[in-house]
Amino acid sequence: MADRYLEPDTPELRARWGAFAFSSTWEEKAKAAIGRYPEGRQKSAVMALLDYAQRQVGEETGTQGWLPIPVMEYVAEYLDMPIIRVVEVATFYMMYNLVPVGRFHVQVCGTTPCMLRGSDDIMSACMARGMRVGHTTDDGLWTLTEVECMGNCASAPMVQINDDNYEDLTAQRLDVVLDALAGGGQPKAGTQEPGRHTVEPLGGATTLKDMVTENHDYRGEW
Amino acid sequence: MGILSKIFTWWDGGTIGTLINSALTGEQVGTDAQGNRYFRSKKPGPLGRERRWVLYNGINDSSRVPAEWHGWLHGAFDDVPESHLPPPKIWEVEYTPNATGTPQAYRPQGALERGGKRAAATGDYEAWAPDS
Amino acid sequence: MPKVTVDGAEIEVPAGATVLQACEAAGKEIPRFCYHERLSIAGNCRMCLVEVKPGPPKPQASCALPATDGQEIRTDSEMVKKAREGVMEFLLINHPLDCPICDQGGECDLQDQSVAYGRGASRYDENKRAVTEKYMGPLIKTVMTRCIHCTRCVRFSEEIAGVDEIGALYRGENMQITTYLERAAQHELSANVIDLCPVGALTSRPYAFEARPWELKKTLSIDVSDAVGSNVRVDSRGREVLRILPRVNDDVNEEWLSDKARYQVDGLTRRRLDKVWIRNKAGKLESANWSEAFSIIAKAKPGSSIAAIAGDLVDCETMFAAKQLVNALGSDLLEGRQTGLDYDVSNLAAVNFNSTFAGIETADVILIVGSQVRWEAPLVNVRLRKAVKNGAKVFVIGPEWETTYPATFLGNDLGILNDLPADLVSSFEKAERPAIVLGGAGLAKGALAPLIGLANKFRLARDGWNGFNVLHMAASRMGGLMLGYKQSAGIKDIIAAHPKVLLALGADEVDFSAFEGSLKVYIGHHGDNGAHAADIILPAAAYTEKDGTYVNTEGRVQYAEKAIFAPGDAREDWTIIRALADTLGVSIGFDSFAELQATMIAEVPALGEEGLVDYGALPSGGGNASGVIEAYPIKDFYMTNPIARASETMQRCSAELLQAGQFAEAAE
Repeated sequence: MADRYLEPDTPELRARWGAFAFSSTWEEKAKAAIGRYPEGRQKSAVMALLDYAQRQVGEETGTQGWLPIPVMEYVAEYLDMPIIRVVEVATFYMMYNLVPVGRFHVQVCGTTPCMLRGSDDIMSACMARGMRVGHTTDDGLWTLTEVECMGNCASAPMVQINDDNYEDLTAQRLDVVLDALAGGGQPKAGTQEPGRHTVEPLGGATTLKDMVTENHDYRGEW
Repeated sequence: MGILSKIFTWWDGGTIGTLINSALTGEQVGTDAQGNRYFRSKKPGPLGRERRWVLYNGINDSSRVPAEWHGWLHGAFDDVPESHLPPPKIWEVEYTPNATGTPQAYRPQGALERGGKRAAATGDYEAWAPDS
Repeated sequence: MPKVTVDGAEIEVPAGATVLQACEAAGKEIPRFCYHERLSIAGNCRMCLVEVKPGPPKPQASCALPATDGQEIRTDSEMVKKAREGVMEFLLINHPLDCPICDQGGECDLQDQSVAYGRGASRYDENKRAVTEKYMGPLIKTVMTRCIHCTRCVRFSEEIAGVDEIGALYRGENMQITTYLERAAQHELSANVIDLCPVGALTSRPYAFEARPWELKKTLSIDVSDAVGSNVRVDSRGREVLRILPRVNDDVNEEWLSDKARYQVDGLTRRRLDKVWIRNKAGKLESANWSEAFSIIAKAKPGSSIAAIAGDLVDCETMFAAKQLVNALGSDLLEGRQTGLDYDVSNLAAVNFNSTFAGIETADVILIVGSQVRWEAPLVNVRLRKAVKNGAKVFVIGPEWETTYPATFLGNDLGILNDLPADLVSSFEKAERPAIVLGGAGLAKGALAPLIGLANKFRLARDGWNGFNVLHMAASRMGGLMLGYKQSAGIKDIIAAHPKVLLALGADEVDFSAFEGSLKVYIGHHGDNGAHAADIILPAAAYTEKDGTYVNTEGRVQYAEKAIFAPGDAREDWTIIRALADTLGVSIGFDSFAELQATMIAEVPALGEEGLVDYGALPSGGGNASGVIEAYPIKDFYMTNPIARASETMQRCSAELLQAGQFAEAAE
């Protein structure tokens, strides 16, 4: 897990983000998020609002987006809650970026199932393209992070790039995905294994075979 | 140091009994820089170990035993210090006995022997003066 | 009332108690770090594990588990022992072994509990975590590597102080406790997190590396920085008070203490009056000796033209001794309200905090008139916050200040009392326990009588409840009023009487220019306003240097003990007054402190009994209120008395926490 830290609160940062406010699209979503909770419990919407704020920052900077301190202060004021509570939430979850990221935030899973299935190769393939863990490349295109389990163990190894997961990777398949992204395309998200749709067993079912075609009742066979 | 003082005093080196005993049952193994002589018994003592002792050259004061011989005396190592310990380093100071009770003893500043000048004992608060 | 069995002994515990409380009730000690009686339950240190049946076959955190009927709790089984050892080993994994250089050493929960419940050694030989120091202001020193993430400090500032400023950032092993952007903790109770911290992560900055707890002499005393009369423990070594810590008293300060009470101690060693000073013909003060000073006072031949003004910090004994002297000379000019307040004091029930501090927590509607409670009595503000959390509504008349709870400000104009807004009236009428808190700014504008009128109208005094409260700011106020330090027109009476000799007993807030022709004798301990204006200065003892009786604003009589001796030539106040009586040739009826106390108690029996004084029923009142409260009497929380003004720590707090904020506001 990369060491996380807050981007320092400098006058330049204040000048750039001090006037941050939700645009009308995000404002509408923020209002909807707050509306999901009872009156006076608007603070519960903090996670949604931080996400929207991060996405709006992303739109403005052409990246995945991140949370500068003035933006967090804006969210705190928006929800009428102490700023320290907002920062607590933002620093707790890995999905909130605390420092600027590149256009594509490549999050390589390095937890045991992915590691056994070759995440080290995935990582070195990323490194070979000039990425370094915890850093953004000079062209501002890639940010590499090693993360813990993303819950795609059945189709390991995987990377998450911005909002999409790419699974069943090999170094070659990852190269194809990254090339497509760099070229402005949108590769197919999900498994990259030809012939596989989601995480169904490769080569057909090995258990509960009678369930493949119909809803078989096994109870009599126990 | 005449034979008489050896008979009638006990504070200056071994008494006559100790000297005779050392000569008969002991074997001298070495001498330190101050001239103290170190002995060990020829036969093991009642505990089955060899006994070790020192005859002081002068006042009987156990702090006069230097560190290296102290270790030997207490059975910390078997060999005599010269052969057992590494050679002394150039920065090692010479061993000095405990000076407590002698004129060489350490006196803190403020002791009467060193002029008795002490800082005034009012330093624990700051007094007010009208001009402040 | 569930019945549970703790280690084989069956006991009954109150409904809603936790397993931990049940074990405590059974006399079993449960080790804990995050659990604290006065804070919410976090359950994150896991030190309080016990074995509970029925339940999963694993140790359970007793602090967060409700006690239910028929539970079988074991605190002495092998499983519990192993669980505690395991938790302790985990806690120590990332805790540095720097006890020899840690200020918490000797009073550290982690140290004590690892001795009692830990293993002898650690099996961990990897690198330890290190965390950067966080700035938390001039009072709190942080060594965050020692933090064990109990979050007591976070919960305190959120729940008790009501100022959300400490938080836990990041997660897991990287979790760090910090203030937002490492700004200083800005409230009046910030230093209580130092007491709460079970390890040495938050320690006292002014007291850093000063002493070890076992070197200190502990003396039980009463705080004088405000009229709350917090119970404190004075820790002294030799001739110096090194620190002040709160004592537990649920009726007064619970277990908190305001920053000023805690950190004005270094003022006790600065600007001290340690010798007699006499003003010469040229108008300059010259040091002198006691007999010279006394002969000058004798030569002034005061006769019955003598007056005494009591300062904010003096004890009842001093005031009584001075009263005996003044009375013996045939005068009755005594006053303690230095700033010229002249509210009616014929009935002390009208100027008392009648609901008591513990009682105000249960109030359901509170009207605050002219009191910035947060600065005038931070611990009362804590009580008000508790009341609001229990559902009370708070209305405030006076300039706006930052409350730590939702409150409705009704403006500065006292005229509103004649025509209260409808929602206030309706809540007062519906309330079961309505309360009024009247502060110094309200008293100055004559709001006392109209408010008593309102109190009677809304029946604030009813069965088992008296909700009429006056919040004073001086530790000596209630005692002074009980001893007769009251003139009908306040200090104006004394000015009008033109006394030949004026005894100022630590009175530093008086405008001495009004006493041009008087011989001003200042009997006090700090070189402050009073000393600068005085003709004769007689050095006396501060509150840590004498035994004394104090009465707090709720009329609670409390005794303080002497911790150290006064510096230099300074003497305890009553001995000075006794010697002065000899010089002036009168007898004042006591030769020792015990005799003095006995005489005082004979005259005012209420002072002889610790606890609340019964002042009787509220008088009748009424009349129209008028006037506008422009500002509150306290301009700077950290600078309200001569000890605090002399304290470097308080000066730093004032400069860093208050002035810096004002500058920033001015710049915006």
